[in-house]
Amino acid sequence: MIEFKEYTDELLGESIFCGKHPSGLEIRVTPKKGYKSSYAVFAVKYGSIDTALPDGKGSWKSIPEGTAHFLEHKLFESEDLDAFERFAKTGASANAFTSFEQTAYLFKGSDDIYKSLEILLDFVQSPYFTKETIEKEQGIIGQEISMYNDIPDWAVMFNLLKALYKHHPVRIDIAGTQSSIAQIDDKLLYSLYETFYNPSNMILSIAGGVNPKEVFEFIEDKIKYEKKEVPERRFIKETSLPVQKEIKQALSVNRSQYLLGFKEELDKPDISLKTEMASEMLLEILCGKSSNLYKKLLESGFGDNSFGSEYFSGYGYSAFLMGSPSNSPEKAIELIKEEIDKLKNNGISTEKFDTVKKKMYGRLVMGYNDIDDIANEQVSLYFSGDEPFSELKTCKQITIEDVEQRLNVLDENSSAVSIIVPKE
Amino acid sequence: MLNVINSSEGVRIIGLQTNDYKTNQIIISMALPLDDDTAANALTLYLLRRSCKKYPDFSLLNSKLDSLYGASLGCNVSKIGDAQVLSLSITYIDDRFALYGESISSECIELLSDIIFNPNVTRKSFGKENLDNEKRLMIERIEDEFDDKRTYAFNKCIEKLCYNDVFAKNKLGTTEEVKALRMPDIYAAWKRILSTAVFQITSVGSADSEEISNVFTEKFQNIERNVCQLKTSFLTKSHRSARSEEIQPVNQGKLVLGFRTGMHNEEDRKYEHIVMNDIFGGGTYSKLFTVIREKMSLAYYCWSRLIVSKGLLMVEAGIDTDKEKQTTAGIINQLNEVRSGNISPETLDNSKKSLKENYTFSSPSSFAAWYDSQICSNRVIEPDEAIKEVEKVTVESIKECAKQLALGSVFMLSSDENAEDAV
Repeated sequence: MIEFKEYTDELLGESIFCGKHPSGLEIRVTPKKGYKSSYAVFAVKYGSIDTALPDGKGSWKSIPEGTAHFLEHKLFESEDLDAFERFAKTGASANAFTSFEQTAYLFKGSDDIYKSLEILLDFVQSPYFTKETIEKEQGIIGQEISMYNDIPDWAVMFNLLKALYKHHPVRIDIAGTQSSIAQIDDKLLYSLYETFYNPSNMILSIAGGVNPKEVFEFIEDKIKYEKKEVPERRFIKETSLPVQKEIKQALSVNRSQYLLGFKEELDKPDISLKTEMASEMLLEILCGKSSNLYKKLLESGFGDNSFGSEYFSGYGYSAFLMGSPSNSPEKAIELIKEEIDKLKNNGISTEKFDTVKKKMYGRLVMGYNDIDDIANEQVSLYFSGDEPFSELKTCKQITIEDVEQRLNVLDENSSAVSIIVPKE
Repeated sequence: MLNVINSSEGVRIIGLQTNDYKTNQIIISMALPLDDDTAANALTLYLLRRSCKKYPDFSLLNSKLDSLYGASLGCNVSKIGDAQVLSLSITYIDDRFALYGESISSECIELLSDIIFNPNVTRKSFGKENLDNEKRLMIERIEDEFDDKRTYAFNKCIEKLCYNDVFAKNKLGTTEEVKALRMPDIYAAWKRILSTAVFQITSVGSADSEEISNVFTEKFQNIERNVCQLKTSFLTKSHRSARSEEIQPVNQGKLVLGFRTGMHNEEDRKYEHIVMNDIFGGGTYSKLFTVIREKMSLAYYCWSRLIVSKGLLMVEAGIDTDKEKQTTAGIINQLNEVRSGNISPETLDNSKKSLKENYTFSSPSSFAAWYDSQICSNRVIEPDEAIKEVEKVTVESIKECAKQLALGSVFMLSSDENAEDAV
């Protein structure tokens, strides 16, 4: 029997059960009273930033861009029925996604949960690739890349990352490029699968109408993997200086769009939850819907309701991003920089800080409504080495000084801007 | 527990009271005919979302929302059949999570009611600057529809398919209509919405539906109501299919096929059409997904979508421009498979199971959206009823529905091959 521990948050009225399978696989279960459906996600710490592996001789061997995503598509296939066909029998809706730092396979369903769970665990553990199926997938993924290339929000973001980062693989597209995916073959996929799809590098997180004890019992004999060492992730250190200050691209759009980024130099690759949340609070104070900046952007005509910001961080990268479509990106950026200077000079008022902290707490509570949010949050917490409910505890501990300290990252020298302009 | 209160003519309050969730969500939707006032109605909604008498500027209003533990206020305009639906919604955490004993719920209910009934109006004016600003934002919103190619192509196909029909109208109106709007038009639109729109207030969470009902019923007592009639015309006449094309400097082409289903009203073999659509191009087990994407490797996405409220079925795919003929032929072939009843018992079963899952909601927002979408229907349907109806559908009835699908319009957004996107 897998031993598990219950974590509880009294105010929230929630419990999360965590246990470790002998293979090293982390399991987290969040039972939700009154919920008919369940959502399960089986995730591996392998994303688009994993573009190199230690070669065992003290050096690194590179991997074609977009391989984690390619593997995600291919795992759905097996020698007989593919995973979608198997899930169709239980009615569960299945999907998968690849991000910078992880690949996740998931399903949501209410009937035959254990059958669906069995399918999820089985197809992820049963790789099957052939030359023919890889070629077929190159066509589908080629269309996926092509689709994203036409989406201005996507283009403005990846262009900015290219302007900010010189070597860090966060600068590359998650799906890779048409030419990088052409280099992928079955041999490569099998070898990467063997390295990354390793239980010590994975988590299974479930939320919904399930009984934790039953889940732990069910999983016990479903893991075929053997315990292995976790593959080392390469830390590529960069200074806070961007590669270029401005990057422009013309697309078939009606209006220009910009994204301004401030890059942070990191001494160590991991970002603490506290840093992450203090950064998000700073962005809320600077760019939120009740901020002076938001009001100015709307009233000046240089911004619209979609103006937004994001603290973008992960293994070895950290940046503050903000932007929206605009008739005049240059003027919008000027307004942003003015407001940053004002905030630096005047500091943050206690009243504003308290309100934003309340908002953040409220939004964290809201995060315990949807089973997919709950289960996915546990994946993020686990991969960053945090226990359940850490985010609520951390939120309470953040001080105004923690937030003010993050203002240092908003430095003109470390900024770059990406602009999409209408094609003539 | 579901509580449906018809508080007065054209005002329905639906409350799903439960302590299972952390939040409450309240949506107020207002339905009006799609007509020459569409632009004025939409602009009025966005002006209302800006402020209210008590918080007369959007920074003050948004600060108030922040202090209510990040309550979120949203507005949305949609089309349901030939009706334009204006919606305002608020989502906030339950009072039991308030750190200092505040009554978040009462304040949010009052705030939402103030936004609609006590706006920041002085001498019949919402403020010139506010109006100018919202007009600018609305024009940009309409023009920016061009930037989302998938939606753009989809709407273009609808326009062609519903040529000369009111459903072709943009839910926000046209830029020319927005430009022409003056303050008296907006004030009149606000008054018209209050007196003529069909209202539905949907609440999901622990909020007391009685309290909500009392607050809003009281507001309507002082309004002279003359509720509009909402009627949707279903396009049943045959129509010769036409293809249109637009060339843009894009990477991927977007193909959209628009079909008329032959439905006479939204209840006309509704669940048969829903299952037929699902098997044709709804789920991952559908004909379009398994053949156009998985076998033919032509597209990353190829789906069909049924618009029950207007009796239309749309198919969309992102493809290489030179694959249009091949893809269209593939889609029609798959439709013919459905028409000839080439549906295994297993596929039918898969579809029913999947649809049942779609109707098994487990978040307050999905429940709220389900009830909110029924604003134009006289009878409120619960998810369980939909599950039972889907269960009854047979292959024979699916075949019959598919046979009646008539291709009315093909829209192709083609890629200009010479497109070079670097500046």
